Amino acid sequence: MSQTSCRLFKGEDMVYEALDFYDVDSQLSEEEIMVRDMVRDWVDAEVLPKIEHACRDGVFPDEWRVALGEMGVLGAPLDGYGCPGLSYVAYGVICRELERGDSGLRSFASVQGSLAMYPIWDFGSEEQKNKYLPKMASGDLIGCFGLTEPDYGSNPGGMITKAEDKGDHYILNGAKMWITNGTISDLAIVWAKLDGVIRGFIVETGDEGYSAPEMKGKHSLKASVTSELVFQDCKIPKDRILPGVKGLKGPFSCLNNARYGISWGALGAAQACFHSAKEYTLSRIQFDVPIASYQLIQNKLAWMLREITKGQLLALELGKKKDDGSWIPEHISLAKMNNVDIALEIARMARDMHGANGILDEYCIMRHMANLESVKTYEGTHDIHNLILGRHITGIQSFTRSE
Amino acid sequence: MEITIIAETQENNLHSVTRQLVGAATSLGASPTILCANGIGADEAAGISGVGKVVSVNGDCFTTFDGGAWATAFDAAAGEGVIMGAATAQGRDVVSRIAARRGIPVVQDVVALSEGIKMTHPIYSGKAMQDVTVAGDCAMTLRANIFSAADDGGSAESSIVQQSGDVKIAVQEAIAKASERLDVTDADIIISGGRGMGGPENFDKLYSIADGLGAAVGASRAAVDAWDEIPHNMQVGQTGKTVNPSLYIAVGISGAIQHLAGMRTSKFIVAINKDPEAPIFKIADYGIVSTWEEALPVLASEIANLQ
Amino acid sequence: MFIEVSFVALNMVEIAVLLKQVPDTNAKIAILGGRVDESAVTSWVTSPYDEYALEAALQHIEAAGGSITAITLGPDRADKVLKDAAALGVTKLVRIWGDGWEDLDSNQVQFALVDAVRASGAELVYCGKQSADRNQGSTGPGVAEMLGAACVVEVSEFDASSSSYVRPASSGSEKVTVSSPAVITFSKTESDLRRPNVRGIMMSKKAQIDLVSSDVGSSQVNFNGDSSPAEKPPGKTFQGSDCIPEVVGLLRDEAKVL
Repeated sequence: MSQTSCRLFKGEDMVYEALDFYDVDSQLSEEEIMVRDMVRDWVDAEVLPKIEHACRDGVFPDEWRVALGEMGVLGAPLDGYGCPGLSYVAYGVICRELERGDSGLRSFASVQGSLAMYPIWDFGSEEQKNKYLPKMASGDLIGCFGLTEPDYGSNPGGMITKAEDKGDHYILNGAKMWITNGTISDLAIVWAKLDGVIRGFIVETGDEGYSAPEMKGKHSLKASVTSELVFQDCKIPKDRILPGVKGLKGPFSCLNNARYGISWGALGAAQACFHSAKEYTLSRIQFDVPIASYQLIQNKLAWMLREITKGQLLALELGKKKDDGSWIPEHISLAKMNNVDIALEIARMARDMHGANGILDEYCIMRHMANLESVKTYEGTHDIHNLILGRHITGIQSFTRSE
Repeated sequence: MEITIIAETQENNLHSVTRQLVGAATSLGASPTILCANGIGADEAAGISGVGKVVSVNGDCFTTFDGGAWATAFDAAAGEGVIMGAATAQGRDVVSRIAARRGIPVVQDVVALSEGIKMTHPIYSGKAMQDVTVAGDCAMTLRANIFSAADDGGSAESSIVQQSGDVKIAVQEAIAKASERLDVTDADIIISGGRGMGGPENFDKLYSIADGLGAAVGASRAAVDAWDEIPHNMQVGQTGKTVNPSLYIAVGISGAIQHLAGMRTSKFIVAINKDPEAPIFKIADYGIVSTWEEALPVLASEIANLQ
Repeated sequence: MFIEVSFVALNMVEIAVLLKQVPDTNAKIAILGGRVDESAVTSWVTSPYDEYALEAALQHIEAAGGSITAITLGPDRADKVLKDAAALGVTKLVRIWGDGWEDLDSNQVQFALVDAVRASGAELVYCGKQSADRNQGSTGPGVAEMLGAACVVEVSEFDASSSSYVRPASSGSEKVTVSSPAVITFSKTESDLRRPNVRGIMMSKKAQIDLVSSDVGSSQVNFNGDSSPAEKPPGKTFQGSDCIPEVVGLLRDEAKVL
């Protein structure tokens, strides 16, 4: 045989080199870069070697909760009460690096920080903040967020979960669905109607009449816990209501922050898929040459590069707006919708480029692809964000037939 | 040019690299002086062709390795010019201390040497080479097995000097070589088995070769998935470890793209496989078309002969 | 009422840790204009063996009390290794640099480092056994010589309570103790390297870096240039186990890996 060794990949290691074509990260502060590197190194060392097993077993490894708390990234942009007090840009970067590992990991952090800690931080009483926030920031307490119901997804205002004032306590009745972290949570932020008005309540694990069975059989976000929350005459003390907000503004404020994080996070998944596709197509030989030398492959890689770069610029500009306060919810809708959409398309394309190997869990792509199907739907579906933008452009809401 | 060589010893003999140092020194036109700690190897050194003088540096300090004490003793016994040693842990330590004592530069791990004095040494773990020139006196260590060894045929004069230094390091306890297996990510040589090994019990053959080489044993995913006895921490490849050793020996591994992803940057790759069409041969520097049953016993005995 | 306040701190130590910034060890090294192209390096990190030295120093002062001075020699970008050390709790940070210092020889480097070590008041110096860029291994022993200190090289284990170090020996390894002052060069140890956290990163933002320089004289070494390593010869295939003696010979003599 004695043929020339194929040295096409000499000197190039499998190390993750984050795609940053426009050098977007050069706009990060020194502190934001240190946070990025901390999370990136942790994902390399502790998440990537274990993620496929976590997915097969359908568990969220508890050591990840501990590590996130130790790193101090939970509730990143919140300040005081033991919270990190980072910028929104830093929070975005954290989401991006976590989701480069897995969307389920980023979901854990999003739910904990934006959906459970944030409402306590913004709408909670002083006692509630002091009681919960330091332990949630350290990862000692896990929170979840109950808004969506089996029959009320895109239309949360129609929720049927209700609270009754019984004088010295409240009684909750109803059910929530698709709740990330539900079964492993120590507390749930539950949105329910009290005299017809949506209010937030803190329900603790162990409260009478409360249970959180896990939903099994997901083909997506397999390393993330998804649950139902069931309230059957659930009795909670009076001091568990969030005093600072009434109406849908409460849950929507939380969702704005979570969606903002997703707009960065999806890029992490997309970058992981791009990296894998680039490495694979450079090393896969067909018809005697690497398939990356074919125009069809290069066209796909170029498209990925283009969309990721645009998404990065979008996310960073949105982050700056979050930090200086000049954002509107529609800005977030645009970024969440766009970046998840392109990430999913990139994951699908990457799967294609890996050929049959692409279906194996040796590569991250099919996992990211399946995860992103959820990410596209949760926290405001892709289409709902289109309608939010449509209303912004025309001034005409198209969500409902009435009004 | 005056060159003084610090003899490298092994147990109570001259280490073979010392002859290579002499070969390198004579190629520069020097008749080097060899310094032997406590006279170890002095007789053999005197018989090496091209050697000018052999000096036994006798001192109490040489019973424990302390680079500072040894450098003090050798420095006093060495002449001007070039100080040359082997690029071993001890050689680098002693030679760099002599350089610091003398205020002369030191260049370590030299792999090419010519008059001038021009030296080439690897940087970035061999990803690049650096050429330097030193005009005056200097110190250097040479990498082993690069320079031609000088033969016998000399009859240099021998002398003895008493020199020592203060030993500041005390050995509290000798620790026998750890019996635990090297991890593939820490090893400079890896020998890996795949499903072609037939069964996990046959990995013993790999372990015995690995022990002789100070190598780690790795495995392909096919082997790890097939046999519970082969743990995941041995797996090299896409979902296992990414390794970058000097030498990677793949036995009974076909070379699926997922395996290549974890080991393709190894500096030298040897493949043993009975299938001449196995993809592993495409990236192997030396491919051996053979069954492992025939190849491994020969490999084991050849490696034993090297020691 | 008399309250006895006793503060037991055995062997409080001052440790200087020498940290070098190098290109990420996984990075591709390119040659441009006859030298390694630093501008092509996208990621700069603390040299890996130095990280083990820093970890040992942190463990040492946790056990014994004392403080650490992190010292680096490098241009502006090298501040990052000091900030990273600060994020792990190091409070005293020193960077050494001077005009035209791109190509210092071994003596000049050691001389500058020794100045900074002396100024720190440290009696122990911890560093990596060699840097990941120049791979020389001269700095630790050379600094020790200039300080008149002992040096234990290639330490793989460290016990803070007994101040003992494990180094390689001809038949395995050996545990040694060393009199102060001393320089210890570390290879990879069993310790897990600690990770920074957000609190540490916030602290590092406030940490001050002292920028110092030294009169290091002129270099006695001429740096002629860097080049890519020689291309490997094309792969060879051998038939049957009879060829193995020849292959082993080639591995030793041609590939030089045995």
